[in-house]
Amino acid sequence: MTEPAISITHVTKTYQRGGETLRVLDELDLQILGGTFYALMGPSGSGKTTLLNLIGGLDHPDSGDVVVGGDSLTSMSAGELARWRADHVGFVFQGFNLLPVLTALENVELPLLLTPLKKAQRRAQAERALELVGLTDRMHHKPRELSGGQEQRVAIARAIAVDPAVVLADEPTGDLDRHTADQVLELLQRLNRELQKTILMVTHDPVAAGYAQKAIHLDKGKLGRIDDNRKATVTAGH
Amino acid sequence: MPIRLLFRNLRAHPIRALLTAGSVAVAVFLVCILDATVRGFTAAVDLAAQNRLVVMSNVSLFVNLPLAYQQKISQVPGIAQTCKFQWFGGSFKQKKGGFFAQFAVDPENFQTTYPEVGIVDGSYEDFRRRRDGCVIGKDLAAQYGWKVGDTVPLVSALYPRGRDGEEAWTFNVCAVYEARVRSLDQMTMYFDHAYLMEALDLGAAQGQKGVGTYSIKLADGARAETVMAEVDALFAGGPQRVKTTTEAEFNRQFVSMMGNVPLLLRSIGGGVLFAIFFAVLNTMMMAGRERTRDVGIMKALGFSGGSIAALLVVEALLLALAGAGIGALLAKGVEGPVARVVSMWAPGFAIDDRVLLQGLSIAAVVGLVSGMLPGLRAARLLPVHALRQEA
Amino acid sequence: MASVPLSYNLRSLLVRRGATLLTVLSIAATVAVLAGVLCLQQGFATMQAEHGRDDLAVFLRPGANSEGESGMDLERAQILLKETPEVQKGTDGKPLAAAEMFLAVSLPKIDGGQTNVPIRGVQPATFAIHGDALKIIAGRNLTPGTDEIIVGTAIAERIQNCRIGDQLVLNVTPFQVVGIFEARGSYRCELWGDVDRMQHALQSPNFNRILAKLEPGRKAADLNERLKDDVRTPAKVQTEREYLIAQTGKLSGLLQFIGWFLAVVMGIAAVFTGTNAMLASIGARTREVGILLATGFRPFAVFRSFLFEAATLGLLGGLVGCVLVLPLDGMQTGTTNFDTFTDVAFAFRFTPRVLITAVVFALLLGLVGGALPALRAARLLPTQALRRT
Repeated sequence: MTEPAISITHVTKTYQRGGETLRVLDELDLQILGGTFYALMGPSGSGKTTLLNLIGGLDHPDSGDVVVGGDSLTSMSAGELARWRADHVGFVFQGFNLLPVLTALENVELPLLLTPLKKAQRRAQAERALELVGLTDRMHHKPRELSGGQEQRVAIARAIAVDPAVVLADEPTGDLDRHTADQVLELLQRLNRELQKTILMVTHDPVAAGYAQKAIHLDKGKLGRIDDNRKATVTAGH
Repeated sequence: MPIRLLFRNLRAHPIRALLTAGSVAVAVFLVCILDATVRGFTAAVDLAAQNRLVVMSNVSLFVNLPLAYQQKISQVPGIAQTCKFQWFGGSFKQKKGGFFAQFAVDPENFQTTYPEVGIVDGSYEDFRRRRDGCVIGKDLAAQYGWKVGDTVPLVSALYPRGRDGEEAWTFNVCAVYEARVRSLDQMTMYFDHAYLMEALDLGAAQGQKGVGTYSIKLADGARAETVMAEVDALFAGGPQRVKTTTEAEFNRQFVSMMGNVPLLLRSIGGGVLFAIFFAVLNTMMMAGRERTRDVGIMKALGFSGGSIAALLVVEALLLALAGAGIGALLAKGVEGPVARVVSMWAPGFAIDDRVLLQGLSIAAVVGLVSGMLPGLRAARLLPVHALRQEA
Repeated sequence: MASVPLSYNLRSLLVRRGATLLTVLSIAATVAVLAGVLCLQQGFATMQAEHGRDDLAVFLRPGANSEGESGMDLERAQILLKETPEVQKGTDGKPLAAAEMFLAVSLPKIDGGQTNVPIRGVQPATFAIHGDALKIIAGRNLTPGTDEIIVGTAIAERIQNCRIGDQLVLNVTPFQVVGIFEARGSYRCELWGDVDRMQHALQSPNFNRILAKLEPGRKAADLNERLKDDVRTPAKVQTEREYLIAQTGKLSGLLQFIGWFLAVVMGIAAVFTGTNAMLASIGARTREVGILLATGFRPFAVFRSFLFEAATLGLLGGLVGCVLVLPLDGMQTGTTNFDTFTDVAFAFRFTPRVLITAVVFALLLGLVGGALPALRAARLLPTQALRRT
């Protein structure tokens, strides 16, 4: 299970910002191995989030190819990408991004509506995901009744509800205090270890990066280096 | 469960939902009433009796025909019955705005000529026997609290009594009628024409002798055009030339007297629609804007633009239809009182299925379009923009 | 107490351009409907009122509310014509008083359908009484005692067979159209002929009214007092202006009723719209409200500020609504005067009264609609407001 799950080939992405053209990703080549927990790091503006969006099928590169799990994203239309996202990817955002009008359980159920599962099955799967993140007792609460850490865990449960191969997290601990952040990061580690999920986590926090197995460093839109992180295997003891 | 999301979104802003539905309710209420009024103008024409004709002066509605004409008219072949029909122009002074229609007729011939007048209280026989008797409509009786046996005093502008013209004519209520067809109102009083002529002959009152119009009931199988032409020819040389028309034509002239009033009412209806359309659209655009982030999340999760747009459209439709339902109910609720108020001009006023359906459809269209605009915007929104992430 | 700067509210309206536009349009449509009906009513009312004269008196049968209802036999009419001292005498020494006949006659319109045209039988004195206010603008005046008629300018354009040289048959008698006249008010909607010839043709033996010019200083009210209970010649006397205004009652009343009914009903809808708009607008600015309060502005200042914003929305809506209706000004229309049952042509008139009514109405809408949201904003606690994102 170490063939590249994600293949980035010669990808370039530019943005217009105030009349200027910014080259955020510059002919980037990158191979990501399946079942591995990566931290994606680099200074602000280095294109980390952009890369995450490309891998998640939220955006198209200007040139180059993005292949995830054998599917070439660059050749898909917007509609096809939407369907692909529903089955293959789970997102975790810095701002949690739960729908405020739905309960925790209903938020987790949301992506399951895009599957052919029946109501009872959806319910069961959502409850399982919540169980995994340890929030069974809060499942009927709305986001405003949950703490930041709990919201993020619900978001993670939502991200894995459809059992995707890849989980993309954008600064998941940015809005959390140290202790809660650790809990969330441990959870991500568990998902990687126990469920073999490929996890890509954008972060600028070296402590958070320490929870990952490898760290990808981007610099000015190009690949800087990839570090191996022995420390990642030693997480118990907190 | 998208349905649950739909209702949650509505419940998240209850005041806004209520106010929007409320303004749609008001609009539909108005549109229904305006529509019913405009239709009511022409009901008298559309539902006019097919077998009745009206003979009036060719010159003016306000010039009377000689009494002697009736005998000659009734001898024209194809005529089953004739009946005098004279506008009285009276008012009930004791009540402010006490204004309703009164007609002097032939009690002997009235019922056969106008079978749609159904007696529900009192006795038509009494009406035929008493010179000063009258038959009044159900709604008229209700509005003024008159019962069989009551005496009704009316002052007439066309047939003034007394030196100052302010002395009242008195009528005895012999019977109450209800309308068996929709085009007939229930706010009219009918009395004996002979009562009128008697007072004029005695000098107790002043006014034109003769009759304003004669109603003709055609015999079975008679052709209206033939009879009309014959009656007109009878009096071609005077002293008063006549014009015989079908009852529908006769009623139409009153409708055309309305001139531009129907157009005015229709324009008002149009204005109302515009106002409401902008209002609902505003609400939906606001809702759409507030939920930009939600749209981004759902798109990130894999929901298609179409399904997200559909949610907005259905939400708008729900609001519009809920409001329309309330408005329709309100309109139906005031149907009775309004019908009475406008019965003089729009006797056929009725909030019927056609009117209600039109109101509901208009609301539905407004809802659809109001939902589609923000829906399209949401569908085309790129998740990256919706979630406003940093590079 | 310090006020929140007005520019804050005005800028906020500009920033949320789309919502502001839709709200203004919604209120504008409501105001336009109301203003349109008012323009119609004003056009009708002013046409009558501004052309009635105070120095002319109208004599009717007691108890009659209009010429149509009034009837005066020849004997009584003659007495009044000759023996009323309050009437001014003309240059020839004869009283400036004329007995007239009035009847609404059904005639075909040029663009189809029938309508009731007012026909007036006049005497030579009638022209002396009207004086310069009545001008023959085409053809010539009718010759007394003949079957010639003259038509008002409004008639010539709307009714068939009313051009100079045409023949119009009334009952069984043909009349020649010999001239077109311009006159004030609703007289221009009439058709005039010699009173005796008209009476004969239409088989109408009575006069309907007497029109007379009063001696300077004489009042119609005094004349009314004197004649209303008179045994020989009872009469109801009014100035011509009073008479004309009384003729507008029903249609004017109907239009006013429609106007106010609409105002109330649509006003409710407009208030709902305004409230919605303000609620959303303020809802999106909760943080800004918190900042204002934290900075030190008092809750009442905040309340006043948002009320001002709502009032501005209303005002804009009112002005746009008036602009929408402005093109109607001067547009000709016609309907039946329900008092006289005759066809009357008049124009929409956008008077200052319409403008003021519309704008005040719109302002009120804004204020009432904005009250609840403004109150809500003012009652926020700064801590709450700032915490919400």
